[in-house]
Amino acid sequence: MKAIRTCFIGAVLCLTAFALGGCGPGEPETHGSPPTIRRLTESQYRNIIRDIFGSSIKVIARFDTPEREYGLVSIGAGKADVAPSALERYDNLARSIAAQVIEEKRRDSFVSCRPQSVNMPDEACAKQFLGSVGRLLYRHPLSEDELQAEVNVANTVATSRSDFYAGLEFALSGMLVTPTFLFNAEAAEPDPQRPGMERLTAYSKATRLSFLLWNSAPDDALLNAAEKGELHTRAGISRQVDRMLASPAIETGVRSFFEDMLGLDAVEKLAKDTIIYPAFSASVATDIKEQTLRTLIDLLVFRNEDYRNIFTSRHTFMSRQLAMINRVPIETEKKWVPFEFAESDPRAGVQTQLSFLQLHSHPGKSSPTLRGKAIREILLCQPVPPPPADVNFDTFNDPIVAKTARERLTAHRANPSCAGCHKVMDPIGLTLENFDGLGQFRTAEGGAPIDASGELDGIEFVGGAALGKALHDNPATISCLVTRLYSYGVGHIPTRRDRAFITYLQERFAAEGYRVPALLRQIAQSDAFFAVSKPSRKPLEELKSAANSAHEQEQGL
Amino acid sequence: MLLIPKLLARAVFMALSLVSVLVDSTVPARAASTTEKTYGFVVSSLFTAINDTKYMEECPEGLTQSNDELWLKGMTPEQREKATNGGQTDHVLRRFAAALRGPNGEDVCWNPEVIKDPPMRTVQGKVSYGINLDGTSDGKATPKTCAHEKFIGLDGTPAVDNQLFRILGCTRGWRAEGGIESRAQAERLDISQGIILVEISGVKDLRNDDNVRVTFYRPVDKLLKDGTGQVLPYVSYQIDTTRYGDSTRGRIVDGVLTTDPIDVRLPFYGNLVISDLYIRGMLLKVDLAPDASSAKGIMAGYSDREVWWDYIRKIGMTWLGRHSCPALYEASRRLADGYPDPATGECTAISSAYKIEMVPAFVIHPSVTSAKAP
Repeated sequence: MKAIRTCFIGAVLCLTAFALGGCGPGEPETHGSPPTIRRLTESQYRNIIRDIFGSSIKVIARFDTPEREYGLVSIGAGKADVAPSALERYDNLARSIAAQVIEEKRRDSFVSCRPQSVNMPDEACAKQFLGSVGRLLYRHPLSEDELQAEVNVANTVATSRSDFYAGLEFALSGMLVTPTFLFNAEAAEPDPQRPGMERLTAYSKATRLSFLLWNSAPDDALLNAAEKGELHTRAGISRQVDRMLASPAIETGVRSFFEDMLGLDAVEKLAKDTIIYPAFSASVATDIKEQTLRTLIDLLVFRNEDYRNIFTSRHTFMSRQLAMINRVPIETEKKWVPFEFAESDPRAGVQTQLSFLQLHSHPGKSSPTLRGKAIREILLCQPVPPPPADVNFDTFNDPIVAKTARERLTAHRANPSCAGCHKVMDPIGLTLENFDGLGQFRTAEGGAPIDASGELDGIEFVGGAALGKALHDNPATISCLVTRLYSYGVGHIPTRRDRAFITYLQERFAAEGYRVPALLRQIAQSDAFFAVSKPSRKPLEELKSAANSAHEQEQGL
Repeated sequence: MLLIPKLLARAVFMALSLVSVLVDSTVPARAASTTEKTYGFVVSSLFTAINDTKYMEECPEGLTQSNDELWLKGMTPEQREKATNGGQTDHVLRRFAAALRGPNGEDVCWNPEVIKDPPMRTVQGKVSYGINLDGTSDGKATPKTCAHEKFIGLDGTPAVDNQLFRILGCTRGWRAEGGIESRAQAERLDISQGIILVEISGVKDLRNDDNVRVTFYRPVDKLLKDGTGQVLPYVSYQIDTTRYGDSTRGRIVDGVLTTDPIDVRLPFYGNLVISDLYIRGMLLKVDLAPDASSAKGIMAGYSDREVWWDYIRKIGMTWLGRHSCPALYEASRRLADGYPDPATGECTAISSAYKIEMVPAFVIHPSVTSAKAP
C-alpha cells in the first residue's frame, strides 16, 4: 500500500509539474541528488580556454592524474581536491595563459575597449574586460563585489607597473586560479513551482547542459538564456538543446564522454616492452585513442547509427602507424584516412581496436583476463571483484606448463579461489587471443595454435568479431551506456531512486533506434537531469555540538 | 533538426572518401586477385658487398694508402711541420688542406687526374660476393665486357664478377670497420633519403613461380622505425611517380627470387650526397621468407662508372674512407669491366654487388584523385 501511495503521489507531482512546464510526458519522477562540486577535468579546462580565447592559446601543463569513480572521471572529479603542488601548476598555467591573452599581438581581439592611457589604470575598460571574460570563466555573471575586487587588483598592478595591460594580465591570471573557475560548484535555490523543494539555479542548469553536450563552459547564448530565465521552462531548454546538438561542439562533447567511459585517458601512461613490440611508441599510444574516438564520432554522430553497431562496425580511421600494426595498406597523404576492414578480416568493433587490445593487456603479452574484465566492467557495467591478495602466479607464469594463454589460465583456474571470478572474464577475453599485447593479429602463441573460442552469458562463439556480435545483442550494453551517460551528466552515482528513470531512458533509447544524439537530447531535456535534493547536511550548530561531545569523550571528561 | 542534414552530408562525404581509398589504392602484399598476389618490400639495408675476412687474406699488401698519407709523403719535413703545426693538427682537422694537393691547389677528388698517385692496393683474394654477369668462365673480353679476373662466390659458385670489390676491398672506408658505407646506411635510415621499394607482383606461389614482375620505386613517405632505429615492417609507402619505376621479369625457385637483367636507376643517398645507383644489366637474387616477412640477398650488375664516381668525388671524405681519389679514380678506369665505349674501347661500368635486406611494406600507388591534386 505504501508503494502504491508513493507512486500515486509521484504521479500527481509529476502531472502537476508537467502542467507547470516541468516533468516530461511519461518521465518517472526523480528526486535528484544534492548539487555537486566537481573540479574541472583536464579536458574541460582545455576546452574552456580554447572556447573563450581560441586555439592559438597554448595550454602547456601537466595535470594531476584524474580520480575515477564508478568508471568515470567525471564522477571522480567530485572527490578531487587541489594539492599544493597542483595549485602551483595551476598558477603557472594561469600566468602563462593570461600572458598569451594579453600579449600585444592578441590583446585587441579580447579587450574590446581602449584605455585612456596604456600607462595608467582605466577602471571602465578593466571592468568591461574582466566582467565579460569573468562571466564566461565563472559560468555566471560576476557580482558587483566580485567584479570590483578584480578591477581593484588590475588597478593596483597597473599603477605600480605603469601598465594598464599588466594589470589586466595579473587580474586574469588570478581569476584562473579561483575555486570559482577551477571547480564547478552547482547552486540550488528554492523552487517557486514546488514549495519546500529546491531547483538548480539557471546558471547551474546552463553549466550542466554545457558540460554534458560540449564538455565545456556555457557560451554567451546559453548564459543569456539562463539570465532570461528560459532554462526554467521546457521550451527554453528545448531551444538550447536543439542549438547545442546542432553545433559542431557536440563532437567534443561526445568524444569526451566516450574517452571517459572507455578509460582512454589511460593511454597517457600506456607502456609496452619495445623489445617484444618494437612497433610501439608514444605516438602509437596517441593514435590508438584518436582512432577509437574518430570511429565513434563518425558512427554515432555523423552517421547517427545504432549505438550497438560500435561492436560490429568495420568502418574506422587509420594512421600510417596503426595501419602498420593492423598490417593493412593505406594512402599516406593525410594523417587520418577512412578505412573499412574487409568482411574476411578478423577485426570488427571497438573491442578489436588497438586501444582496447593494448590498454587491457600486459606490457609484454596479451591478457584474456584483463580484456574480459574490461568487457564486463566498461562495456557491460558489471563490476568484477578484485583478486585475492595471496594469488600464486607460479603456474601461470611457467612457460613450460603451458604455451598459450588458454592453457595457462586453465592451470590457474585449478585454484578454486580464482576460478569464480575468472570464469566470468576469461571466456570473453580468450576470444580476443588472436590479437597479441599490441593488438597484432596472430594465429599461434609459443608455437601452439590459438583457440579463440569462448562465450558471453551463455552465447558461444569464436573470435573478436563474433564477440562483437554477442555484445551487440547483449541488453547489458544498452543499460550500461544509458546509466553511464546519465551519471556522467548529473555527476553522481545513480541510486536506487534513479532506477525508474534509467529504465525509462532505456525504453526511449530503444524507441529511437539506439541513437546517441537522441539519447543525449532525452537526458538533456528531462527533469531528472536537473533535479536536485537538499544536501543531507546537519545544521552547523548540531555538528559543532557533536564534535565537542566527541572531544570530551576522548579526554575522558 | 538542423543536425540531421548536416550528419547526412557528412556521412555521404565519408562514404565517398572511403570508396576513393578502396578503389584508387593498389593493395600490395594482399590478394590482387584470387590467384595472383603482390608483395611489397622496403630495402632496410644496402651495403657494397665486400668480403672482408678476419685476417685480411684478400689484401696481402695491406690497406690502401690514404689521401692524408700521400699528402704528407709529398712534402718535405719542413713543409709537413708547417702544414700540421708541428704534428698538432690531426688528420680530421687537416682534411681540407690535404684534399687540395693539386699542383695549383686543386681538390684532387674533383680533379683526380691533376696528379698521379701510386696505384692503390686492390683485392688479391679469390673469393667474393657476386654473380657471373658476363657468362664467361675466365673473364675474357666480350663485346659487352673488358677482360678481367673472376672470383669464386662465397658459396663456391665459380666465375663470379665483382670488380667493385676488387677496387674497394682493401680500402678501409668500405670495409666493415670503415665509415663510408655504415655512415651512408645510417643516414639513409635517419632521413629517409635514397630508399628503395621493391614490388613483386603476379605471384601465384611464393616458393616457386616462373613468371613474376619486379618493379623498383622510391617512396615519398618517411620510414617508420622502432626505438633502436630498425625499419618497421608492414608500413605503407606511397611511390614517387615522377622518377624511377623500372621493372623486370623474374622467377622464384625454392623461395629464391632471381630477376632478368635490367638497366635500372635506383634512388641512393649517403654521406650527405643525393645520388642514384645506375646499374646496367642489374639482377636481383634474394631469399624470400616463406611468409614474406623478410627478404635478403644481393643486387648485382654493372655500376655506371661516371655516376658512381660522381658520388665518390662529391662525398670527398678521404679522411673517413682512407682513400686517395686520384688512385681510386685510376683504379676504377683500369678495372672497369663492362659496357666498353664503342669509340675508345674503355669500359664504362664496373661489375658490382650490393648486399640488401628488405622488410615487408605496402607499396601504395597514388589514387586518381591525389594524382590530380595540385
